[in-house]
Amino acid sequence: MAANKNKNQSSLVLHKVIMVGSGGVGKSALTLQFMYDEFVEDYEPTKADSYRKKVVLDGEEVQIDILDTAGQEDYAAIRDNYFRSGEGFLLVFSITESESFSATSDFREQILRVKAEEDKVPLLVVGNKSDLEDRRQVSADEARAKADEWSVQYVETSAKTRANVDKVFFDLMREVRAKKMSETKEKNGKKSGNKKKSLKERCVLL
Amino acid sequence: MTAIKHALQRDIFTPNDERLLSIVNVCKAGKKKKNCFLCATVTTERPVQVKVVKVKKSDKGDFYKRQMAWELRDLTEVDARDANKDNPEFDLHFEKVYRWVASSTAEKNSFISCIWKLNQRYLRKKLEFVNVSPQLLEESVPSGESQSVAGGDEDVLDDYQELNTREEQDIESMMEVCEYAISNAEGFAEKLSRELQVLDGANIQSIMASEKQVNLLMQLLDHALSEVDNIEGKLLSYEEMLQSVKEQMDQISQSNRLIQISKTNNDKLLDEIQFLVNYMDLSKGHIKALQEGDLSSPKGIEACINASEALSQCMNVALKPGHDKLLAVKQQQRLFTELKDTFARRLTNHLNNVFVYQFNHFSHFKMTIPQFYRSSCLSLPGHDQSNTLAQHTADLTLPKHSPLHRDLLRYAKLMEWLKNTQRDKYEGLSRTYVDYMTRLYEREIKDFFEVAKIKMAGSSKDVKGKFGLHGSSGKLTGSTSSLNKLAVTSSNSKRSQSSSLLDMGNMSASDLDVADRTRFDKIFEQVLSELEPLCLAEQDFISKFFKLQQHSTPAQGENVDDADGIVHSRPPSEHRISISEKDMVRLMMNKIFQSIEMELNSLIALGDKVDSFNSLYMLVKISHHVLTAENVDPASYLSTTLGNVLVTVKRNFDKCISGQIRQMEEVKISKKSKVGILQFVTGFEEFAKLAEAIFRNAERRGDLDKAYIKLIRAVFNNVEKVANESQKTPRDVVMMENFHHIFSTLSSLKISCLETERKDAKQKYTEHLQSYVINSLGQPLEKLNHFFEGVEARVAQGVREEEVSYQLAFNKQELRKVIKEYPGKEVKKGLDNLYKKVDKHLCDEENLLQVVWHSMQDEFIRQYKHFEGLINRCYPGSGITMEFTIQDMLEYFSSIAQSH
Repeated sequence: MAANKNKNQSSLVLHKVIMVGSGGVGKSALTLQFMYDEFVEDYEPTKADSYRKKVVLDGEEVQIDILDTAGQEDYAAIRDNYFRSGEGFLLVFSITESESFSATSDFREQILRVKAEEDKVPLLVVGNKSDLEDRRQVSADEARAKADEWSVQYVETSAKTRANVDKVFFDLMREVRAKKMSETKEKNGKKSGNKKKSLKERCVLL
Repeated sequence: MTAIKHALQRDIFTPNDERLLSIVNVCKAGKKKKNCFLCATVTTERPVQVKVVKVKKSDKGDFYKRQMAWELRDLTEVDARDANKDNPEFDLHFEKVYRWVASSTAEKNSFISCIWKLNQRYLRKKLEFVNVSPQLLEESVPSGESQSVAGGDEDVLDDYQELNTREEQDIESMMEVCEYAISNAEGFAEKLSRELQVLDGANIQSIMASEKQVNLLMQLLDHALSEVDNIEGKLLSYEEMLQSVKEQMDQISQSNRLIQISKTNNDKLLDEIQFLVNYMDLSKGHIKALQEGDLSSPKGIEACINASEALSQCMNVALKPGHDKLLAVKQQQRLFTELKDTFARRLTNHLNNVFVYQFNHFSHFKMTIPQFYRSSCLSLPGHDQSNTLAQHTADLTLPKHSPLHRDLLRYAKLMEWLKNTQRDKYEGLSRTYVDYMTRLYEREIKDFFEVAKIKMAGSSKDVKGKFGLHGSSGKLTGSTSSLNKLAVTSSNSKRSQSSSLLDMGNMSASDLDVADRTRFDKIFEQVLSELEPLCLAEQDFISKFFKLQQHSTPAQGENVDDADGIVHSRPPSEHRISISEKDMVRLMMNKIFQSIEMELNSLIALGDKVDSFNSLYMLVKISHHVLTAENVDPASYLSTTLGNVLVTVKRNFDKCISGQIRQMEEVKISKKSKVGILQFVTGFEEFAKLAEAIFRNAERRGDLDKAYIKLIRAVFNNVEKVANESQKTPRDVVMMENFHHIFSTLSSLKISCLETERKDAKQKYTEHLQSYVINSLGQPLEKLNHFFEGVEARVAQGVREEEVSYQLAFNKQELRKVIKEYPGKEVKKGLDNLYKKVDKHLCDEENLLQVVWHSMQDEFIRQYKHFEGLINRCYPGSGITMEFTIQDMLEYFSSIAQSH
């Protein structure tokens, strides 16, 4: 009777989220906190890892795929592939490290480049480590100004205290879902067979 | 005595010129009231003669007569008869022995003493003093001695009297009066003699006068004596009177004592009678109640209870040993026994009737429902779904017997009475009760479990359908899904619209799985929670009604009170009683509820058959109920039964676990499609999630942990087994994906006992990811790889890096040749193919493509750099480079990214 379970999981709507940001800003910490309600103090650089979880998003059971990526790669191009596979992005920096904040712009540019054919990429700017207020280097205003400039949401989180952790994932999923729905409508309305459609189809089939 | 002495001196001795020295009032021995005196006298003239004179007082008149006189010379012996004792008798031996009795011992003694003294002084002759106290004789010795020393001058000295001063003065004054005294002595002497004569005459006259006075006095004394005699006579008469009074008093007191005795006897008798009447009398009302009291109305029962109590009191009166010989007592006892028997019979009959009535009543009431159930049960198979659904909504309850218990408990006191008086009847009744209740409960419980089973079967049908689905028997699938649709329409309608039919079927089936299980859980819980109060109520009732635990409670209380061990010797016996009574309860409960265990077991078997995962629910539920039941009363029937059942459930649970393990071992994978996540891996995940939910707050965590460890070991082993057997999918992929999944499962469930397994899984996942990446990457640059492996082998063999190029197989030409084979275009194609292959190998569920590809990109770049490093070191200055640059490579990656 266990046999049907795996099929069952895949039948749910799936949202693919990619964690992006410099090394050591807390991408894995956010992911693990969201997945398993745990906070790991020791830092161990991630290469890449994939997580999947069933959640209830506004009353609907969906699955979220989180691709936790490495922050410190020598070659940006390596990221192209998984940026391609993502539907939504959490662009994470640490409020205690201004370099990680400036790096967000490069990451964003790469995302937009890789997903050039999309009108709008669901993305949230996340200022992590909000619990370390005394070591803050990036002011909330500064970050918010940049997010406004990109017309995306800015949220400060703490993987340690779990502050806003669920919020960033769920908000991002909502954006992804909204985008998918508008695309489906568009697709149903006028059968515009472009690249978007093939991408969309692939997602559903998975 | 002195007066007598004076009188004697005057009357008798003075005229004879004798001096009375001692006197004793005596009478002749043997004669009475012959009053006479013995006197010891000395003559005033010399030579002194010592005499003992006997003087008798004349009977008439008041004068004494000299009767007889003895010379002391003639006295030979004085016998005092007894020296020490007071004895007034004494003997005087003259010419013959004279026996006397003195009026007092003192007189006698002084008389004897005087005689001794006289003898000492005047005679100094041998005189025997026999039986005379030596004290008496010695006392006066010294004086006697001194007197004897003085010799014969004694009398001269006696006669000469020195004039004292006053006499001197008198004489002088007298001589002065007679101035002539000295001159005329003769005249003076004459004058003196004259005066003396005058004085003599006066003296004689006065003596004469005093004699008259004495006579008068004597008369008076005589008179007084007669008066005394008179008084004495009166006193005597009084005494006589008193004597008679005393005798009378004695008689009265005697009779009084007799009266007292008879009174106490009467009192005792009265007490006895009162005791017997008080304690052995049963009022008419009570007798009536016992004989024909109404046993169905509360008032009648009350009366009967009172009457039975009174009766037992009467019968248990502690009679004294003799009482049973009394006819009345015997009669009364016989009456009591009769009453007791009659009443016991009546009570037994009545209670029997009550049992029968109640039993019939209940069973009739109950019969109506099961028929409905049975009919619906018959119509169950498939056709009538609405009926089945209705069935599901029907209440799963056991009838409560509290009214019956309440009715019967009114008789509890009477039962106690019966137990104490008519043990056999009591036991008969309890047997009857058990018989009826057994039948009643058996039916009720059977019906109850039938309903429960039907309810379960309702879910089992769905499950069977689901089984069919798994077994890919397509026929059933459709009907199941449609049925499922019915059951879960509301919750799934949204999704079922957006999903394909197949998906929907799968999904709803699994959802139904959960729904089934929760329903099963509910049913089972309901069964248990229905049984629990029923059993407890029945047990409570039995112990109350049959008075089976009354003794144990006070005994326990006593134990608690006297913890210091004083009472320890006593309680064991009481304890034994309580134990045996508890056993009685258990026996009765066993009999009454004999079907429960069987039914429970069959229910459990059904539940297990329906879905082996139900064992988890049952284990938790039963454990919980066992614990609660044990908390209430560890010896209760319920807790023992549940304990037995728990063993079965635990066995089922173990079976379920080993069943899963067997399933894992038996799993076969298709050779054509990719392996993906193995069924049993997700199965374990599902099991663990379910188990965690079920066991969240359960007491049997330990069992689950043990099961987990068994299961996870089986999972690990079988993943490896499958991986080894897998043909289509590389071993590494199977391992990597499945262990990634296991790791993820364990991470999210946080099962503490599986922490090491979690780390293990992570370790295995990383290892196999690495080895998959490396093995896969061997292919795109296969020849280059071989070439450089050779180079490295040489270096490892000790060839210096710079000299590798001199080796024939690894000279620059060879290098160039190999490098030429991998122009940028080729590499790109190889990477493209690799990406496609990886995509094909990996399954969607784990979403590891990006992770793997990321690793591959990294690894590829690392390899490239490694090759470049080797070229620089081994072929320095040769100017040989790879046909493509890192930049080219990154572009390939980007383009691969863009193309998918």
